Amino acid sequence: MQYPQPISKLIEGFMKLPGIGPKTAGRLAFFVLDMKEDDVLDFAKALVHAKRDLTYCSNCHFITDTDPCRICEDKQRDQSIICVVQDSKDVIAMEKMREYSGQYHVLHGAISPMDGIGPEDIKVPELIKRLQNDEVKEVIIATNPTIEGEATAMYISRLVKPSGMRVTRIAHGLPVGGDLEYADEVTLSKAIEGRREL
Amino acid sequence: MYINEISLKQYRNYNQLTLPVENEINVILGENAQGKTNFMEAIHVLAFAKSHRTSKDKELIQWDQDFARISAEVTKKNGPASLQMILSEKGKKAKVNGLEQKKLSQYIGSCNVVMFAPEDLSLVKGGPNLRRRFLDMEIGQISSVYLHDLGIYQKILKQRNQLLKDIFPSATKEQDMMLQVLTDQLVQTASKVIGRRFSFLKMLRNWAQDIHWQISRQMEKLDIEYSSSAEVEEGMDEKAIAASLHRAFEKASDREIRRGISLVGPHRDELIIKINGREAQTYGSQGQQRTAALSLKLAEIELIHDNIGEYPILLLDDVLSELDHFRQSHLLHAIQGKVQTFVTTTSIDGIEHETLKKASTFHAGSGLLTPAE
Repeated sequence: MQYPQPISKLIEGFMKLPGIGPKTAGRLAFFVLDMKEDDVLDFAKALVHAKRDLTYCSNCHFITDTDPCRICEDKQRDQSIICVVQDSKDVIAMEKMREYSGQYHVLHGAISPMDGIGPEDIKVPELIKRLQNDEVKEVIIATNPTIEGEATAMYISRLVKPSGMRVTRIAHGLPVGGDLEYADEVTLSKAIEGRREL
Repeated sequence: MYINEISLKQYRNYNQLTLPVENEINVILGENAQGKTNFMEAIHVLAFAKSHRTSKDKELIQWDQDFARISAEVTKKNGPASLQMILSEKGKKAKVNGLEQKKLSQYIGSCNVVMFAPEDLSLVKGGPNLRRRFLDMEIGQISSVYLHDLGIYQKILKQRNQLLKDIFPSATKEQDMMLQVLTDQLVQTASKVIGRRFSFLKMLRNWAQDIHWQISRQMEKLDIEYSSSAEVEEGMDEKAIAASLHRAFEKASDREIRRGISLVGPHRDELIIKINGREAQTYGSQGQQRTAALSLKLAEIELIHDNIGEYPILLLDDVLSELDHFRQSHLLHAIQGKVQTFVTTTSIDGIEHETLKKASTFHAGSGLLTPAE
């Protein structure tokens, strides 16, 4: 039997979210029907507001409700370092650390020819433009240690290095607090490759 | 390493099978289409997490069922272990002593198997992809880092090939720089892969030459060379290999863009097998080519022993009857007393009696293996 149109539309809507297939979408839709009307309204408003009120910072491309974003606005922060990440979520992860007080630049993706994503399709040109500013002394590339993330890092470093600016890449290898014996061979071999002088 | 018991559930034509294995040499007898090769394949899947016959795991699961399970109780040099491989539509799961393994590339190597099937007889005669596959599978058994690097290499290769196709007929400035980046990335992994292949080859050659000399009754000298798309030689370190690869990529760059594929790297390399200085693929007789294939397989057994400290399990699928008596007895002599072996055949007529005396025999039929009287 076919669902009445309002509910099938709701199911379709849920299915557009990542990780949600037809079954989960159906369950969520029927749950919504049983919710209090106020809660449903709040939820719908929250969805619309998140979309309408949040934009990307015109400077660093992090999600924000003010432009420029609070991180870019903060004059206490170090203006001479930019940390380049793939996603807004990565900024939040870095901020949780509370150790880094420089600037960010969110690329919104990584270069991947297979998916038709070139350097122009992510925020690489915007990064290069920001680096024209003399205040910036170092770029930390914190893209994911995947093939695409690594390629993006290498690409940016090739672009930036000739200007003489310091370009660094975050380290990868053993997790902190872990025992050596529990690390898998691949991680260990990466850690050996990335060893440093004491 | 020895298998003490093997069980199959919903695997191809085996609905439920539990087979205690007590002997070193196990002969599985049966007519065609009774499931002899399916049984061998199951052991292969347990070792490599993939079949040697098909790339579609779905085919391994019994018709109308949603999963298949292969389990084995084994004795390894450091004690007993139980291994399990579960295949379902959602993917594969491997367990060691009941614990699920996070990555299959980590699991492979838990069970070491060398398989000798009819298609391996054409290892020398057949196309380069057979010899590359041989290299990759065998190195993978002793080095999970190699498997990982190879996987990464293939992913970068796909990206690079796509970019080359996008670039045709001419590159923008960004594309050109991106190509350089992907070339760098590819070379980095490629030099690791080639370096590892070189050290494997050195060990393999040592063993294979010796074995071949014996099987050929001191008449033939076997040699294995690495033939590469770049100018690399054994003994070079990763840096030197990387430099050669870079030069080769530079030379090939126009052709690569024209054809839209990467023309340099381990995926284009292969092995050249020579007998008495001549290329066996072109000049060798059928018999010589088969003997060379056999020597390589036997060398592999010794090599695994050298590297991990115990012998693998040998699977001889329908090949024993393909070898003449001298080679048969040499093969069986070589494995005697150290390598647990499973042999399939349609009839015992072609097999030496001495061997059969010491073996357990099973009959394959209607989805079961039953011990012969």
